[in-house]
Amino acid sequence: MFYNWLRKKKGGGMMFAISKREFFESFKGVKSIIIIAIFLMTAYFSTKFSDWLLFMNIDFTSQETELIHTFAISVLILVFGMLFTMGLSHDVMNREIHERTVRFLVTRTSRVSIIMGKFLGVVLFWFTCLLTSFLIISIFAHQFDVITFLQSLSLLVYYCACTLLLSVLISKPGFSMFLSMIIGIAFPIFNGWVFFTTNAWISWLKYLLPFYYVNDQDYRFMVIFLLAGVLLFIALKVFKRREC
Amino acid sequence: MWAIEAKQLTKSFGKHKVVKGIDLQVKTGEIVGFLGRNGAGKSTFINMLTGIMEPSSGSYALLGVQNANDAIKRQVGVMPDYSSLYGSMTAMKHLSYLAAVSGKTVSREWCIEVLKLVGLEEHANKKAAKFSFGMKKKLALALAIIHDPQLIFLDEPTSGLDAESVIHIHQLIQQLHQQGKTIFMTSHNLDEVEKICSRIAIMKDGSIKRVGSMEELRAYYQSTITVTIKHSSIRSTDLSIIQQWLQQVGESLEMEKSHFTIQVESEQKIAEIIRALGTYKIDIYRVDVEEPSLEEIFLEE
Repeated sequence: MFYNWLRKKKGGGMMFAISKREFFESFKGVKSIIIIAIFLMTAYFSTKFSDWLLFMNIDFTSQETELIHTFAISVLILVFGMLFTMGLSHDVMNREIHERTVRFLVTRTSRVSIIMGKFLGVVLFWFTCLLTSFLIISIFAHQFDVITFLQSLSLLVYYCACTLLLSVLISKPGFSMFLSMIIGIAFPIFNGWVFFTTNAWISWLKYLLPFYYVNDQDYRFMVIFLLAGVLLFIALKVFKRREC
Repeated sequence: MWAIEAKQLTKSFGKHKVVKGIDLQVKTGEIVGFLGRNGAGKSTFINMLTGIMEPSSGSYALLGVQNANDAIKRQVGVMPDYSSLYGSMTAMKHLSYLAAVSGKTVSREWCIEVLKLVGLEEHANKKAAKFSFGMKKKLALALAIIHDPQLIFLDEPTSGLDAESVIHIHQLIQQLHQQGKTIFMTSHNLDEVEKICSRIAIMKDGSIKRVGSMEELRAYYQSTITVTIKHSSIRSTDLSIIQQWLQQVGESLEMEKSHFTIQVESEQKIAEIIRALGTYKIDIYRVDVEEPSLEEIFLEE
């Protein structure tokens, strides 16, 4: 439905073509297969383990019981989400710039369409992974945790925007690969530290990072979409100035 | 309506100006050849017009529209100078994907038809990674025309191709011209440009030195004869009078202490100059007359 709307929109057809290719390209390769397998196995085994814990009659609060099935997948996204996203898509833009295939795109459509098309393609890949994982969980848990799903999705959207910005800023795919590993590992550590620190000089940073907005089961995660939008806007500004 | 209209288009990389305020108009339906040595700024100029690079200053309009938007880009086909393709995609996939990026859905039959035009129909399902340099060039040309554009930019379309392919591409360009398309191409092949193009622009050091039809350029260059005259010293009292007179006789006067160079229209003017110098008691040691060959028109300019 979304894509039909996108295709009909002015310039949407071009964006759709780019995002469609990016989406299908994301599934190719060993890295993506491993990541998809990790997601699906985490979803499956965490649900099984949660059921076993509940069966053992351990004393859980009602909120814990509610979140127990999606806990593992949430932790997976919090801790490894950035690493997975960057590892998989760090060269989403700079590969095209480096190999000059981007020349075929910039001469055919606007740079906004290219950035948005790439972004939507990558986001759609993660949306599919996440949705599949949550569907597996919902089959065993007999419930679909919408808030946790949307919170996880907001984090993934944020990671995708970070990845796109990195890929636009760093022109060499080899270097962006190296940086993506460092950022992917450092980001959850740094974000966790900023979140828990009592140092007033640093703690304000938590408002600029996503973890603060997914701490509670509420709708504050919407701010993460805004943060992603800001990153995307910066990526677009950088790409508009870039020689292809 | 102009198909291309550039006004004071400039591109600088740091302090180095690669394209220096180019003004150029290309009529709809023309084939314009863009000549110049390596590093003259041809590709940079095309890259600015096609959106690959942002101009440092100046403006341009394609098909009558300033700052090409998506709608205009759909009417423009580009074959970049350095054609790198998606290695994992087949020729067919390339065509359908990039046509879609141009906002057009194309049928399989149309893709085959375009591949036939460039002589790649037998390689439709072959991955681009396995293509030779020439095949990549041909595919890049197919990609430039797959969405049936009105204005086509070709950056050295035949460089690196075998003779048969070159003839094939020339025929294709002429066919596109007959369909009313405007073609703007760069080339190092003088014969190619002479044969195909209706107008030629010569670029040197980031500026367009001459624009005109082949006949106009020939007439221009053949109508001027560059004469270098080595002579004895000229008295300072006569210098300004002689200089003034020479400027009336010819153009592009460059005066040094022992010689001067001037462009004159006919050989008779040379005799006139020699006679005039004699009246001022100036001895002539040597007269060098240069008549540019066709090759020199492009290379020396």
